Amino acid sequence: MTARRPAHIMPREKGTTPLDLVIAVMAFLAALALGASLVANRTADSWRAGLAGRISVQVLPPDKGPPEPALSRETAAALAILQNTDGIVHAAPLSQGEILKLVEPWLGQSALVADLPLPRMIDATIMPGVRVDIPALARKLKAAAPDSVLDDHSHWIARLRGLADTVIWSAYAILALIAVATAAIVAFATRASLEAHHEIVALLHQMGAHARFIASAFDRHYLLATLGAAAAGAGLAAALFLIAGSLEYAGVQPVSFLPPLTLHALEIPWLAAVPLGAGAIAWVTARLSVLAALREIY
Amino acid sequence: MVRFENVGMRYGPGPEVLRDVTFVLEAGSFTFLTGPSGAGKTTLLKLMLLAEPPSRGLITLFGHDLATARRGAFPALRRRIGVVFQDFRLLDHLSAFENVALPLRLAGRREEDYRQDVEELLTWVGLGDRMAAPPPTLSGGEQQRVAIARAVVARPDLLLADEPTGNVDSEIGQRLIRLFSELNRLGTTVLIATHDRSLIEKSRAKEMRLVDGRLVELRAQRP
Repeated sequence: MTARRPAHIMPREKGTTPLDLVIAVMAFLAALALGASLVANRTADSWRAGLAGRISVQVLPPDKGPPEPALSRETAAALAILQNTDGIVHAAPLSQGEILKLVEPWLGQSALVADLPLPRMIDATIMPGVRVDIPALARKLKAAAPDSVLDDHSHWIARLRGLADTVIWSAYAILALIAVATAAIVAFATRASLEAHHEIVALLHQMGAHARFIASAFDRHYLLATLGAAAAGAGLAAALFLIAGSLEYAGVQPVSFLPPLTLHALEIPWLAAVPLGAGAIAWVTARLSVLAALREIY
Repeated sequence: MVRFENVGMRYGPGPEVLRDVTFVLEAGSFTFLTGPSGAGKTTLLKLMLLAEPPSRGLITLFGHDLATARRGAFPALRRRIGVVFQDFRLLDHLSAFENVALPLRLAGRREEDYRQDVEELLTWVGLGDRMAAPPPTLSGGEQQRVAIARAVVARPDLLLADEPTGNVDSEIGQRLIRLFSELNRLGTTVLIATHDRSLIEKSRAKEMRLVDGRLVELRAQRP
């Protein structure tokens, strides 16, 4: 004879319940928050990697008189100092085209822009692991090129990291709120279910069922229901991230100076943490709710 | 097996439903509990099956003083008791087979181990062809037989039955009493609450009568 699974001790609710819908929506929001934190973290890392070890020197047009030849003279002087500084492996001025491209998001592509007295830029790279005395270098540059400004990007790196951290911690706060809300509605649903099935629970208790046996009938139900609903919500969020990724691939970028809200292939599996976490919360909440209710029975 | 000493019971601030109830059910005894409606029979059964704590007095069950026993020990004590409820209390979403098998499942046994026993018992109570039927599709008498089969399937040490023959004809009633007698012969202590005088007259069992919450022993068990 083949063994078959015994029938569920509690009656099954058929179809999608309001609880399933709420869990799915919350899982969708949680997956969006988690995805946003992943994007923010990756973007902050890439910004930091791109700026760390780089310095730039900006040579501003003089306040009085024509920009040339002062701009060219000071740029050459600054470049010479950078190239002769220990630890700097590369220093090169940006072309006029590169400078125009940098200001394009703010000033556009108008021909008038090229006529503006734009500053000159020198990009320099510091050898990895070498510390360059930035204040001393700034003083030397100031002496040779009075209109130069040295920027080691530390200010920007700190601000970008701060911005990314704000996004990440906001996402974590949203996740925590959603977790608390999930626990609350599962506890409420479990209590309602206990009320609805009071006679069955009382009978099982009377027949000598251990509290954990009765609790397992509820926690298993809420674990499976929550896993299913949360997987649907997180799956929808994953689909949105994939669509955003395909739009980026097609060249559509809604806001040019913000990172695209896309997840890499290796980051998508992280969204599975949402249904797994929701399932664990539901399981623990349902179990504790039933055990607490059973303690009130003689 | 069961000892009540000066047990009283009241629900909330109401009057006492049971007063100074004192008796002993010896292991292997067969007892009828009688009395008019509202005399406290069901309350007495509830105290015996650990559904309610007494308001006062001492109850000893299987050698455990319930006032001092650990709550954690109660499930094991309850599994030694088979109960036939007056309102049957079958689970409507389970089949007759699954209802009867419930005590064995709660005891941790696997279906392949108990399937044959449950099928034989259901056949014996005349429900061999209704095993897959859920209770709402069964008649009152059939539901009662399922409830009785569920109470006896695990061969409990103590069997408590509240009006177990109330919904069946006399032939089935006699058959069920024979089932209880057979269990009693195998060592189960049996207490049956009933109004059915014919059952009592045909039996040599002890009779305890409740009147206004007080217990009177009418007849000792005859040899």
